[in-house]
Amino acid sequence: MKTMKSRRPGGADRGGIRKRGPTRTDRDGDMDMDTSAARGGGKRGRGNTGRNPTGRSAPSGRTQGRDRNIDAIQKAISNSQDSFSIRSGKNTNADRLELYSVRGWKNSKASTRRDHGVESLISYLERRLNTLKSGSRAKITKSRVEGDALIVSVRPDLAEPMSKINGNVFAGVNITVEPYDPSSTEALDREIGAANGLSPETVDVKSKMTAILARRYFPETKLLDLSKLGTDTDLNAMGMFNKTSTESKFFPALMKVWNMGFPDAKQRREAVESVSLADNQLANINVVTTLAVTIPGLKNLDLSNNNFKDAHSMIGWRWKFRDLEFLDLTGNPFSTDESFKNTMMKWYPKLQTLNNVQVRTPEEVAAQKKTPIPVQPPHFQDDSQIAENFIRTFFAGYDGNRTELLNSYYDETSSFSMNINTTAPKAAQADTASWDPYIKKSRNLLKISHLPARMARTYTGKTKIGELWSTLPPTRHSDMALHPEECLVECHPVPGLPDQTGQSATGVGGLLVMVHGKFEESLGGKMETRSFDRSFIIGPGNGPGGIRVINDILALRAYGGHEAWSPENQAIPQAIPQPIPQAIASPAAVVPPIAPAAIPVVPGAPDPASQRDTGCLAQARPIPKFSRNS
Amino acid sequence: MSSVSDDQLVKVSTEAATELVQTFYQALCSNRESIASFYAPVPSKILFNGNTVADGAAVQDIFVNQMPHAHYEAQSYDCQVINRAYPTVTESGIKPAAQMTIKDMSILVIVSGHVRYGENRDQPQRGFSETFVLVPNPSAERGKRRRDWLIQSQNFRLVV
Repeated sequence: MKTMKSRRPGGADRGGIRKRGPTRTDRDGDMDMDTSAARGGGKRGRGNTGRNPTGRSAPSGRTQGRDRNIDAIQKAISNSQDSFSIRSGKNTNADRLELYSVRGWKNSKASTRRDHGVESLISYLERRLNTLKSGSRAKITKSRVEGDALIVSVRPDLAEPMSKINGNVFAGVNITVEPYDPSSTEALDREIGAANGLSPETVDVKSKMTAILARRYFPETKLLDLSKLGTDTDLNAMGMFNKTSTESKFFPALMKVWNMGFPDAKQRREAVESVSLADNQLANINVVTTLAVTIPGLKNLDLSNNNFKDAHSMIGWRWKFRDLEFLDLTGNPFSTDESFKNTMMKWYPKLQTLNNVQVRTPEEVAAQKKTPIPVQPPHFQDDSQIAENFIRTFFAGYDGNRTELLNSYYDETSSFSMNINTTAPKAAQADTASWDPYIKKSRNLLKISHLPARMARTYTGKTKIGELWSTLPPTRHSDMALHPEECLVECHPVPGLPDQTGQSATGVGGLLVMVHGKFEESLGGKMETRSFDRSFIIGPGNGPGGIRVINDILALRAYGGHEAWSPENQAIPQAIPQPIPQAIASPAAVVPPIAPAAIPVVPGAPDPASQRDTGCLAQARPIPKFSRNS
Repeated sequence: MSSVSDDQLVKVSTEAATELVQTFYQALCSNRESIASFYAPVPSKILFNGNTVADGAAVQDIFVNQMPHAHYEAQSYDCQVINRAYPTVTESGIKPAAQMTIKDMSILVIVSGHVRYGENRDQPQRGFSETFVLVPNPSAERGKRRRDWLIQSQNFRLVV
């Protein structure tokens, strides 16, 4: 019976691991729909292993649709029909089955077929089994290809007939059938799967991989050459490419070993700028996708002479490698696609050289980054170091002793509230840690619209603020002296604040201080990094330095790095003071100009006040000023 | 000003912040000719990425004449009352306490969001943080389009 019904062997398979499912072929290799229909009806044992590997209920329509799409893409791009394989799911009855290796069939007449004759071979085996035994119909429950062997699972009662097939003729050749010895393969799987384990075999695999990586890594050019892996004699000696199961685990394991070679993420990031995966017969990125996790900051990537057919075959790297400048896909069918250049330029905004042709100039790349409003050093207008001293004390106190901090700077009229931006843009490689410790306190007015909730999330007075702060996770803000670039502090005077003494009808003056930075937090034993924006209004009071906090408003978001506020015109040496007329340079800051002239935003002409500070508080400040800070 | 309850303070201040967030970013995007009307006549400080801009008219001029299309989206915002009796200077001097209403408060607003410059939707979304101080509108003018609060200070920073 011939039919065009899907050749897809399993239900929700993905990647290189395929289930042998409902379809069967007859002697000619055509589909046998009877078995398919019967199993589709849901014989439980088969249904579980064939259609739904997890044994859970069927996924929702949308997921199914997506799986189908992924599957269709996989099918379209995958050359390999060899990848039917066993995966022991929770509900399989694998331990009640017996495994046999079938060899010799790769030289058969059927091997010229797209699946190298696997379907035909299985049909042949089932027919032979049914000839050799009586009773219920014999079936090959599961199968997979490992190198030159087809590994099949059968019920224990088929052991005898199975061994009788040994030496029989399939499609013109003698095949061997023998009980499968899993020990070697499983051991290797285990080693590779957990390459940082402690068993001697693991250490051996790890040391071999380390040696291979050392041979293929060129520190002076920061190149990791992973081209032609299939012909690497050391790798072949390890048996890496003999079996689909190890092949798919090999690359992730290699990346893991690579990671272990560096003491920290920074050194790892800086070790490699270029990677070659040329000449690896890759039809898609599935087996090498972890490269994007291990070396996300890659600048040059050689994928030449592989078998990428279209954008879908690389879709997993659509949002990866945000710093990629050079990409070589020559010798891939995708390169001839008319959408190729546009797609790659769109995917990789810093891409300059594609298939050895310049597609963007460095100036064009730089122009993308430019914002319409040039990024200047912080505006820090704080003549008496009031804000400076406050900020230094504040974050040390917030990290170290919140109660003491509250008692110093906060009083019964101080206000605190916090809001969480759960969807903020983030740094390319940042994970978003759970917001659980904060979200119930978040006063994001976009989401908290009812008055009682808005009131409940307003914290007035140091007692209430203290109660809230004691429930928030401990934090460690970055050290402003050690890492001035990681934070940005701006400050300017603000008039019209409430006068606690009630003496001034015009109110009192104070400072608006705005801080952007990051902190670390220990959450469930794991260190998380978050970014924050925090604005304070400080006015005259009884705290250290004669100030108090009137308002303290905190916004939290996923870690977003600090590049956004590093000045764009860094080429201009900040150390050379520009002659600034005294009248403009200082005092006007306190008194608002009477008739302000329109000052357009001009690159390279920063506000005079901003000349005083170029980074966080510690940066570019004359040392004597610190003597006041005690 | 007689006694004002906390819930009234929260209600009025959060509604003022909401009004600002809803109208100001919309104006930056598609109604730039109205930008100057958001600002107090003599603002104390206006900063964009560390650049000082003199006043509302200058902000409007920059957005009308120099800025490409920009799409802003406020993703999170919050506010607090700074001074519930802000000393507004009117034509006849400082407004006496007896004439003050609940709308004479000054308000601190913080906004976290993203902005995309240019018409091209493929341009990256940049994260921003913006802090405003709103003060009562000193003008005696009455009318439907009158803004109750104006921007006294503003600090915009790209942060991602």
